[in-house]
Amino acid sequence: MRKILSLVLALVMLVSVVCIATAETATDLPRNETLYFGGQQWGPVNGFNALSSNMNNAMVIASNPRGSRTIMFETLYMYNSLDGELYPLLADGEYEWNDDLTQMTVKIKKEAKWSDGTPVTAEDVAATWDAAVLTKNNTYSGYSAYIDKVEAVDGNVVITTTLTDAGKPTNPLQVLNFLSATYILQKDWLATLAARNDNDAAKMLEDPAEDIIYSGPYHGYFANDQLVAFVRDDNYWGACDAMWGALPAPKYIGHAIYSDNDAALVAFTAGQIDVNQQFIANVQKLWEEQDLPIATYMSEEPYNICTTMPTAWYNMEIPVLQVKEVRKAIAMAVDYDQIIENAMTNQSPSFADVPRSVMNPTDGEQALYDHDAVKDLQWVGKDVEGAKKLLDEAGIVDSDGDGYREYKGEKITLNACCPNGWTDWQAAMEIVAAAGQAIGLDITTNYPEWSIYQTVFTKASQTEYDIFMYSPAGAEPAAPWSRVRSFMSSDFLGVDNNWSGNFGHYKNDRIDEIIAEIPLTTDDEKIEELYTEATKIYLDEVPSFSLMYRPDYFHAVNESVWTGFPEYEDGDNIPPADCTDGYGIAALYNLELIK
Amino acid sequence: MKSTFKNILHSPRFMVGFIIFVIMLLTVLIYPYFVPRDPLLSLGKGFLAPGTYFSVYDANNAPMYRVELPEAAANRLQSDLPESDRKLILDFLKAKGADTTGLNTSNEGIEALLEAWSANYDEADVKKSKYDGFSTQAKRRALSRLDTKLKSFASGVSMNVTRGDEEGAEATKVSGADFARVDQVANTISLPLGTDNFGRDTLTELVKATGVSLLIGLIAGTVATLLGLTVGLLAGYMGGIVDDILMFIANIFTVIPGFVLLILIYYSVGQEARGVVTCALVIGLTSWVWTARSVRSQVISLRNRDHVNLSKLSGHSLPRIVTTDILPYIASYVVMAFILQVSSGILAEAQLSLLGLGPKTTDVPTLGLMMNWAKLFGAYTSSNAWWAYFPVILVIALTSFSLNLMNTGLDQVFNPTLRD
Repeated sequence: MRKILSLVLALVMLVSVVCIATAETATDLPRNETLYFGGQQWGPVNGFNALSSNMNNAMVIASNPRGSRTIMFETLYMYNSLDGELYPLLADGEYEWNDDLTQMTVKIKKEAKWSDGTPVTAEDVAATWDAAVLTKNNTYSGYSAYIDKVEAVDGNVVITTTLTDAGKPTNPLQVLNFLSATYILQKDWLATLAARNDNDAAKMLEDPAEDIIYSGPYHGYFANDQLVAFVRDDNYWGACDAMWGALPAPKYIGHAIYSDNDAALVAFTAGQIDVNQQFIANVQKLWEEQDLPIATYMSEEPYNICTTMPTAWYNMEIPVLQVKEVRKAIAMAVDYDQIIENAMTNQSPSFADVPRSVMNPTDGEQALYDHDAVKDLQWVGKDVEGAKKLLDEAGIVDSDGDGYREYKGEKITLNACCPNGWTDWQAAMEIVAAAGQAIGLDITTNYPEWSIYQTVFTKASQTEYDIFMYSPAGAEPAAPWSRVRSFMSSDFLGVDNNWSGNFGHYKNDRIDEIIAEIPLTTDDEKIEELYTEATKIYLDEVPSFSLMYRPDYFHAVNESVWTGFPEYEDGDNIPPADCTDGYGIAALYNLELIK
Repeated sequence: MKSTFKNILHSPRFMVGFIIFVIMLLTVLIYPYFVPRDPLLSLGKGFLAPGTYFSVYDANNAPMYRVELPEAAANRLQSDLPESDRKLILDFLKAKGADTTGLNTSNEGIEALLEAWSANYDEADVKKSKYDGFSTQAKRRALSRLDTKLKSFASGVSMNVTRGDEEGAEATKVSGADFARVDQVANTISLPLGTDNFGRDTLTELVKATGVSLLIGLIAGTVATLLGLTVGLLAGYMGGIVDDILMFIANIFTVIPGFVLLILIYYSVGQEARGVVTCALVIGLTSWVWTARSVRSQVISLRNRDHVNLSKLSGHSLPRIVTTDILPYIASYVVMAFILQVSSGILAEAQLSLLGLGPKTTDVPTLGLMMNWAKLFGAYTSSNAWWAYFPVILVIALTSFSLNLMNTGLDQVFNPTLRD
């Protein structure tokens, strides 16, 4: 009896093992038809509700003016960071402003279709805006200050801007951001969503929306805690000649969920990830020394196009940091070359090549201000003697001989913070702390977990972090104006949950005037003048200082399976946006299997 | 007493462990006198491989000697165009379908190889034609880098060196037979273990880190042993309600996994307060339990012995009984426990720091912190820098190996059942 029982048990075990194994293969994707991504999705997904921003579904819901991820949901236009232009997706041709920039008209492509076969119409765009207003989601909080209403008029979308007291549009540039950032959703489906959630905004945003109607080329295939997979919709409207003229090459898109950066990197080097978005220290060694079929967008340093600049912000609520000289002295003493060489392993141009300003290092933005006019205000870094002198002159000296300077009788102790695990930032903060120690300020590093960090530095007021890192606006339709604003605008003062800028809570009336003036200025010379003045104020006041230039995307590809990825100056004008974001998605149509 | 020491010194295990430990300790103490550099000083850019580096700038100013090395030309060729590059050229020519008869990768065949290369390689063509095996960006770029390198050879091998930035500074022509003696170059640096991701001399940092980690182990071990010993002695000797209460506390600590507790306490302390001493104290405070439990069980078996009862009858005080009648009997055990506590303290620090919970990097290096930064900067993945983590692992292994050897050696001496 016992023998039979043990035999049965063994058999049951065997069968279940086989079942599990076959179940696993059923969800395996054919490698030759799948493009695997890395570095985007961490943790399992919550749903497909593109109206909401807490679905944790990074491969399909990532809306951003610098280029929304249009794998499943689509925007009116796609932003191309290479030329700064907007390319029509659901929209047909260029948008048109009226003369006083108060109304914009956007045509809709007549070929554009939803996944249920019905055409995408202007009504859908209007309904998307109405749903945003109803749910007060991110689209609403981002753009309601600039957009008054979005209507369907004669089959076209008409966007009316809000007006200032003087009757001028508040900000036409932000409307451009709206075009490339907002996912358009189907009117009927939005009605269904509202109906089943009793028009309750919070419930609508929490709805996982498994039944959502989409217009993009892929949709959810399966998702578990190890892999998120999407499958191509072969009836995708974009295959028409008016749009791409073909279907995107990979039938499946997969993103395995890795425990950390290291695990993802190992998978990338093993060819299990095709397109990877993560900082890889000394990335060039992967092909120079390990001879792997890995490439970045550019073949030479800095390997990718740097469009943003991670910045150390001074907390203006800390009394000693209200002293301009202290802010400038710390910034002067920091060894930027070391940050760029060691923290970024040279994946950033140096500040000697691209002097600091409010501009990112792309040629387009660099041409927007007068470099010579701000030359005297520049600093090179690692200037310990200069920084000491500046502090001495400001009367901030070490009077009790303990090696540290005092402010109002108290030893100056500051922390330098960034999220734990953000390798290159941590290394940068170490170097900032070392600079502080060198000039007699007791700066030490502190790396809270991201989940805590993000709640603190975005507060309307905080005194926990003294010097802390975050990036200003990167490349987007409204840049570089949006960057000036995110560096210094008082729009963000007193705003809780502020993700947009001025995290150190700096205030300057003149800069606010400039920020208000630029979007309404059309004269190029005047614009340059304003940007130059903004740069001057930024360099003189040092409300924050950039530590390095950094790409919006660390675009790296492993060509073990797929080839034909965009590369620098290849003539295709496809930005290195991980083959998914903004106009970067055009890359999916160029891919081929390796021979 | 004397014979015990003699026995200890005759235990080969103990002596091996002891010698390793003493060597490490001496290195930690003496090394700074030879290399007085700040261990956290950043010397250069990122990971530099181990070796001796000399200033090219200064080498030019050092006295020149003429050395006619017969194999100089061949060596130069090998260094300029290593075998892998030659093979790459040949592979490319084959993939393109060019005539490769008579071509080989020997030194003699190089000229023909280079000729075939310049006749066949065209960057635009490679990109367009997608030759088998050369269609990826990585391969095409490898070819392009090789081409750039070959072109720079073609433009003249000799080097003109100008010293000083002023215009009109005289240029020296350097030939292949010009040698400088390394010790006459004004600036050289030996980096036996290269540099870490911050460009810090790994050896200097490692020596300092070993010292700090030993200190952490020592403090943690002392705290854990003292605490464990006190609790164990009191609980074991006094028994009753005191025993119940103390063991209740000890059981709580046993049930919660020590390392999780360590992480939680350390996390809540906050990075601001995380110095070396705090780190050591926290480790000590979470690892006393097993010492306490084993001391207690030993004491329980001791407390009913005749000499203890005699002491009690003589009216000796509790501290006196514990210190004179009980402690000496378990002293050998406590010493061994202490050694193990030191070892586990060092390991605990390494684990904590590897998780990013270590002491502040700007203050001191520790073995765990070195591992942490090596991990963060992909020393064993993308950066390919074994010297940044392997020596650290070796030191950690050696430290705990030597301490454990000493422990088993002592065990053999003190424990009659284990004696040979």
